[in-house]
Amino acid sequence: MVENYLPILVFIVLGILFGIAPILAGYMMGPSKPDSVKLSPYECGFEAFEDARMKFDVRFYLVAILFIIFDLEIAFLFPWAVVLDEIGMFGLVAMAVFLGILVIGFIYEWKKGALEWE
Amino acid sequence: MGFEQIVFYIFSAILVFAAGMVISVRNPVFAALFLVLAFFTSAVIWILLEAEFLALTLVLVYVGAVMVLFLFVVMMLDINLAVLKRGFRRYLPVGFVVAFIMIVQLVLIVGPEQFGLDKVESPTPRAADYSNTEELGRVLYTVYVYPFEIASVILLVAIIAAIALTLRKRKHPRFMSPEQQIKVRREDRLRIVKMKSETKL
Amino acid sequence: MSFEMPDFTPAIPEIFILCMACFILVADLFVSDDKRVITYLMSLATLVVAAMITINLHSTETVYTFSGTYVKDAMSDVLKLFIYLITAVVFVYSRGYLSERNLFKGEFYVLGLFGVLGMMIMVSAHNFLTIYLGLELLSLCLYALVALQRDSIFASEAAMKYFVLGAIASGLLLYGMSLLYGVAGTLDITTFSNVITANNLTGGEYSTVLALGMVMVIVGIAFKLGAVPFHMWVPDIYHGAPTAVTLYIGSVPKLAAFALIMRLLVEGLGELHAQWQDILIIMAILSMGLGNIVAIAQANIKRMLAYSTISHVGFLLLGILAGTKEGYSAAMFYTIVYTIMTVGGFGMVLLLSRAGFEADKLDDYKGLNERSPWSAIMMLILMFSMAGVPPTIGFYAKFSVIEAIINVDLIWLAAIAVIFSVIGVFYYIRIIKLMYFDKPLDTSPITSTPDMRLILSLNSLAVLALGIFPGSLLAVCVAAIT
Repeated sequence: MVENYLPILVFIVLGILFGIAPILAGYMMGPSKPDSVKLSPYECGFEAFEDARMKFDVRFYLVAILFIIFDLEIAFLFPWAVVLDEIGMFGLVAMAVFLGILVIGFIYEWKKGALEWE
Repeated sequence: MGFEQIVFYIFSAILVFAAGMVISVRNPVFAALFLVLAFFTSAVIWILLEAEFLALTLVLVYVGAVMVLFLFVVMMLDINLAVLKRGFRRYLPVGFVVAFIMIVQLVLIVGPEQFGLDKVESPTPRAADYSNTEELGRVLYTVYVYPFEIASVILLVAIIAAIALTLRKRKHPRFMSPEQQIKVRREDRLRIVKMKSETKL
Repeated sequence: MSFEMPDFTPAIPEIFILCMACFILVADLFVSDDKRVITYLMSLATLVVAAMITINLHSTETVYTFSGTYVKDAMSDVLKLFIYLITAVVFVYSRGYLSERNLFKGEFYVLGLFGVLGMMIMVSAHNFLTIYLGLELLSLCLYALVALQRDSIFASEAAMKYFVLGAIASGLLLYGMSLLYGVAGTLDITTFSNVITANNLTGGEYSTVLALGMVMVIVGIAFKLGAVPFHMWVPDIYHGAPTAVTLYIGSVPKLAAFALIMRLLVEGLGELHAQWQDILIIMAILSMGLGNIVAIAQANIKRMLAYSTISHVGFLLLGILAGTKEGYSAAMFYTIVYTIMTVGGFGMVLLLSRAGFEADKLDDYKGLNERSPWSAIMMLILMFSMAGVPPTIGFYAKFSVIEAIINVDLIWLAAIAVIFSVIGVFYYIRIIKLMYFDKPLDTSPITSTPDMRLILSLNSLAVLALGIFPGSLLAVCVAAIT
């Protein structure tokens, strides 16, 4: 079974090589004469005022975590879809209950206004 | 040493390196990215264990979604690195001692003495058409249906907890309702006031 | 693995609680803030009906279903009934406190009910996987409940600590379970125990792996129980959380933790009793010692009760480590008595608190007798019971666990337990001294709803009545352990 993944391994190795090689070549062959002016951050001729990173609104986080929960739910659907013909009616109902419980959560977040962006 | 073993050692070395970097790099964003690398290499190791579905889920869910969330949190919080690192040096020796003891214990207990290839023979590799996903699906929705449904309840509680803890209603929402906008009539907005023209004093 | 259609009948209480929790979650969205009491009443009704279902389904035989991941036996039925009862009492006590602090939301009750579901799953688990999932469901609800008071820095800090330490504990427990799985190749508890016995694995070449797995599992359990040296979170979380949540965390989950020990250590790792007995002896002595001694230094009653919890956990472990049927029923009796006393103790804190005033300092209890003689008597009974003074049930609880360890010839341990419990009497009596012999600092009237007063009085009187007639509860516990 593992041998099926050999092409992917080869692909990863090639990908890393092709990613690293140009950077390495540029680094080794290009001239590099750094000084303090060249290395300082440049912002339209001014000194940088503040950190480039700024705070996110907590609402982004809420959307992300709700996304993850439904992402996980989808992950459970794959093995189910593959063997649905073998597990029959019981498997179908089991998944229906699983999704039903999560739909309750979906109704809750909808009615609560967690999906609205004001 | 077989090819698989070489792959295993390379990726485990990367995994240990990445895990070490997660806790030692200064910038939390780099730490999160090293965690991505750690997840990715463990996915490779899981594939070597023929647990392909779990490996792919690890990449999809953890690398794809959980790490995005991590980066969000790291960027959202205004982390003061100096405060974060303050106790680091002081507790480093204790941490090292504990970690060392743990490593020695684990090497002694789950090392080659107990689980070496001469003690436990490696399982025969599965045929090329073997599907781990099918195997998982066959038991997950039948034999393990009870834990499976509990998992959905845990996800439901996670939804409730996330909303209860982070959702804040704005006092003055700037939300526009198209429905109400369309319903507006002239009478609601416009008032014609009849006034007598004022006479000049 | 062959699969047969599971029998759903034994799990009807769980299914009912799940359906009702989902229903209340959705129904609460349509209830306006001033009618929130509907959510509260529905939650209470759910617990009452669930109790009726459990009583109806009760039988002494052991039933396995869901391919052996679920078990229903006498112990699970009794523990579930007490879980419903104590949770209902928690809901009644916390209503006034929550509404004064703008926390009277549907989420409190929904998370409370999902926590009950998690505990029921733990109590009825017969598979490492179900135990872990039940524990996670419970823990997740508890983390969220602690953090529910979002504007309080103390609550947020407590939630953060609780979450980080709880996650470490769950990780250790899971790692231990994975090592045990590695040795036996099964997650089913009975099969696991049979594999260990049949292959004589306790002495074989895998004995060290088995021991490490067992230690990890014990560490995980000790974290969840709050036994020394894994107790650090208990005082901070009890102190930082809103008192209504402390009431919940401090009481009901201990019943589930008892079941966790019974399923994992006794049913699963019973063969290794000689090994875990030593670990539990050390933890029990440390818990009783540290809990009782440090409690003396506390000026905050929530912290004091937290250390008192730690010492009670030590006593609970005494019953378990005895390793006899008698010891297990004594430990079960102790756990149930502990939850009844604790719920009353924190109930008193809630009774005295009002908007903007927590009543969590020992000084707030000064002169309680002058302000409200009846409350002072109730508190007196509860404190006597926690201290283990004779006509109360706390005495019989301590007596039965000590008797159990004397019967397995651990007389020195029994002596230590007695010494520490005598030390512990000091700080309980101090509260009584404050109530009866000091002048009140605060003379504002005690406001509370009549239902809370009634239940709290019944709670305290039950502690006294059960102390005079301990036989029936003890008999239930003896019958529950098979």
